[in-house]
Amino acid sequence: MSPQTQEAARLRARAALRKGLGTALSYALMLLILAFAIFPFLWTLAISITDKQASGISIYDFPRSLFPPAVTLGNFFEVITKLNLGKYFLNSVIITALTVVGTLVVSALAAYPLARLQFPGRALIFGAIVSTLVLPTEIAFIVNVLTLRDLGLLGTYAGVVLPIIATAFGIFLMRQAYLAIPGTLMEAARIDGATELQILWRVMIPLSVPSLTALGIFTLVGTWNAFFWPSVALLTNDDLLPMSVAILKLKGQFNYDVFNVAAGAMIMMIPVLVVFFMAQRFFMRGMEGAVKG
Amino acid sequence: MKQQAFTTTLIAYAFLAPALVLMGLFTFYPVIYGSYLGFTDYTVADLATGEGPKWVGLKNIQFVLGDPLFQTGILNSLKYLLVVPILQIASLAVAVLVNQKLPFMALFRVGYYIPVVTSISLAAVMWEWIFQKEGFLNWSLQLLNVLNSEGRFNWLLNENTALWAIMLVTFWRGFGYYMVLYLAGLQSIPAELEEAATLDGASAWQRFWLIIVPLMRPTLLLCSLLSTIAAIRVLEEIIVFTGGSGGPLNSTYTALLYVYNKSWGNMLNANFGVAGAAGLLIALVGFALSYVNFRLTREERSER
Amino acid sequence: MVKRLLAASALALGLSAFAQTQIEFWTYYLSPNFDNYIKSTIADFEKENPTIKVRWVDKQDTMERDLTAAVALGRAPDVVNLWQDSTFAAAQNKILTPITQLVNRNVLNQLYYPNVLDMFVTEGQVYGLPWYGWLDQGVMMYNPDLLQKAGVDVRTIRNTDDLLAASARIKQATGAYGWLPPVKDPNGASFLGRFFLEGLPIYDKDGKAAFNSPAHVALLQKYVDAMKNDVIPQELLRKEAFQLSNELYSQGKAAIVVGAPTTLNRVKEANPDLYAKTRIVPAPLGKAGIQTGGAMSLVIPSASKNKSAAIRFALFVTNRTNQVKFANVVPIVSTAAGSENDPGLKAKSNDPLEIGKGMNSASGRLINPGFKPPKNTDDVYKNFNDNIEAAFLGRKTAKQALDDAVAFWNANAK
Repeated sequence: MSPQTQEAARLRARAALRKGLGTALSYALMLLILAFAIFPFLWTLAISITDKQASGISIYDFPRSLFPPAVTLGNFFEVITKLNLGKYFLNSVIITALTVVGTLVVSALAAYPLARLQFPGRALIFGAIVSTLVLPTEIAFIVNVLTLRDLGLLGTYAGVVLPIIATAFGIFLMRQAYLAIPGTLMEAARIDGATELQILWRVMIPLSVPSLTALGIFTLVGTWNAFFWPSVALLTNDDLLPMSVAILKLKGQFNYDVFNVAAGAMIMMIPVLVVFFMAQRFFMRGMEGAVKG
Repeated sequence: MKQQAFTTTLIAYAFLAPALVLMGLFTFYPVIYGSYLGFTDYTVADLATGEGPKWVGLKNIQFVLGDPLFQTGILNSLKYLLVVPILQIASLAVAVLVNQKLPFMALFRVGYYIPVVTSISLAAVMWEWIFQKEGFLNWSLQLLNVLNSEGRFNWLLNENTALWAIMLVTFWRGFGYYMVLYLAGLQSIPAELEEAATLDGASAWQRFWLIIVPLMRPTLLLCSLLSTIAAIRVLEEIIVFTGGSGGPLNSTYTALLYVYNKSWGNMLNANFGVAGAAGLLIALVGFALSYVNFRLTREERSER
Repeated sequence: MVKRLLAASALALGLSAFAQTQIEFWTYYLSPNFDNYIKSTIADFEKENPTIKVRWVDKQDTMERDLTAAVALGRAPDVVNLWQDSTFAAAQNKILTPITQLVNRNVLNQLYYPNVLDMFVTEGQVYGLPWYGWLDQGVMMYNPDLLQKAGVDVRTIRNTDDLLAASARIKQATGAYGWLPPVKDPNGASFLGRFFLEGLPIYDKDGKAAFNSPAHVALLQKYVDAMKNDVIPQELLRKEAFQLSNELYSQGKAAIVVGAPTTLNRVKEANPDLYAKTRIVPAPLGKAGIQTGGAMSLVIPSASKNKSAAIRFALFVTNRTNQVKFANVVPIVSTAAGSENDPGLKAKSNDPLEIGKGMNSASGRLINPGFKPPKNTDDVYKNFNDNIEAAFLGRKTAKQALDDAVAFWNANAK
């Protein structure tokens, strides 16, 4: 082998080594962060599967409570039957699905003119929408529930969903997403004679799938875990309550069984994490082909 | 051309219609009414007997401004802002980490998101254990020789550290949340740019600060704005860790805790007038901070 | 004949159709554990009162908020399960109908223990029917192993001073805490309760705050010293004492729990071995020899549309038969008059929970409601607690803290 090829081989090997070290460091760092992120979750998981009849230790005994001597799924069954969770789970699914779809539609629509169209009042409207992030909403729930009553929507799914699908967060997020799409694409489409609706549907939305996914996920998580507003809006009809409200019954002076509370928490968390796991690859879509417009 | 401008305006408002109607009815109207209540005398007793609010002008605002509890609340909420830059940079860095095309990234992404969905009251049990005198935090600090065994204390019971301890929990809860937003934003940075920089010999540090951060401007603005507002309005963690009373010597008494105690946290004694006034004042602070946020991120952009 | 029968039955049907009333009953944190008890009580009532139907809704944290919202909406419930503070607050804010408008006070005096009834009296009217109660001091539950290790004989603990002394010995010998007294619970003003239990006055004869005498200061100092020496944990400044002692007891980190025997349910779940070992004796009391406690109440909102049906139901649920039944499901204290002689409340076995019931549930007449709260409790209690905390943390002397608290109280408790 010639000295140049040897040199080249050595350089390549060193580069590979550096890359390997870099990757190893990445993983080490990420594992450390992971430990930081999930330790309470692991504890909750451990408690939820602990067989409370068998263990003789207290759950507050760290770190022993992380390794239960006997495991069981009994806590989960107990929670599901005791609270009659099936009905509430269905309610949660319906309310969450309606809210996610509603939020995506309202935000995707509203953000488009705010990002890409010129019209009078644009700055004012955008300012007003963003201002709702800081405005005092402390007693809004009372006013809204009175409004719902006057509209005849109290105690219905619509009454829970409609007041929460138009959010500054959603509109702001989608606007930022649209702004990141090059204006040249829009111009090209307009020249081809596309209407605004077609531009939105064919150009903006496909290219903002990561943001749409993010918005969808956030709305999903937020709605799934929300208990304050649903319990107020459904004051007159507790058959429609979501699971997040039913789960609260596990606490309280007489009810406090930490194993059940942990099982309840897992029942709330796991569906969301599963959906997140399935959806997170949609964050990773690239801009292939778009820049070359 | 005027015809086109008119059509555009029409279309614009058509697209905006659902949002404007819903927000108008369910966000603006209650807020305006609630703010109006800030200038009235209106308590639960009035609600129960059917009496309406009585106008009293600036009386509530003056009362709130002069209330030492409220002043403490605002001060603590402002201190809480320190978590914003740390949280944002960390979240962006983590997003960059999990954006790599390596195996198992999906697991890490889900794992970092777990604190966002973990029930805060359950997480609080573990965090309290960490902050205890014999807890994990002191144990690690002893290991690093920052603390000796007599100097140990419960971080939630010391008025100098309680707020920062809770801020750590907010950080823990939040970095996965913003990581998701940054991940979404990172997708719009062309891979060619980074590859070119690497070929030019730029280190990871340089790539982060000189390429990624500038190109993430829109997402940075969104996230820092949201984070700032969330910090000023922090409430949930405070209540879970130190209850409605505001911690040792009121060191964790935040601005919104004041409103909480005057309204939905103590409903049978609610004073909507005072709560409304306090809410308004907090909103003013929020506005000011948002304006600063906008200016900071916009100015830098024009400098480029 | 047939025509008359038909007419009569038509009339009866028509009348019952008219007379069919539906009332709504809200309870606080009773589901799902006591589903059976509540549902069977409702079934019994409906059998005796076929024209009244009861719809039961259980509330948790959101009780106060939901009640206010329901009143605002014009959909108020008819019977609501509140507790002392909330009954007081709701009455003050005109949300409730005085019970004495619906039932004669003499009748009420016969049905319930007067000390408990008095807890729900404001401005001369009774606003709530006493329901299940509890004694703060209740019983003393202890871990015999820890006491033995510290060489403490439980019979030597006769009062709260003995409790503190025993706690010091237990801490030194075993590292576990002994007694965890309430000093700054999140709700209320615990240390005022401490003064009261030791026989120290809260008010002077003019009704002004007077809890800064040398005797008061000395008592506060005693507990401040106890915390400084870690005989009682600093966590008591942040958490409710009863909750904390329960947590620590289950872990073996505290040897004693003084309070309602219902806590044994939690110990049973968290640490069954310890539950089996736990012994129970009557609680040692302070110098005043009294037991404070509280009770739940059933109230009727003024916005209710079915007050006569509501009061009937409320009287039924709180009568002695039903309270005794409740005490056999979980060892609550019955507040119905005559419970002290009711055979249903005697302990039937050696199970710790049964013993607790036997000792406790018939003692409703001993519940001392404590001192009368001032107006404006929110601000006044908060200031009091802040001062107590400052004393415990060493930021103020005990004397300074109490002087400041008294000054604020007299200026603001209007």
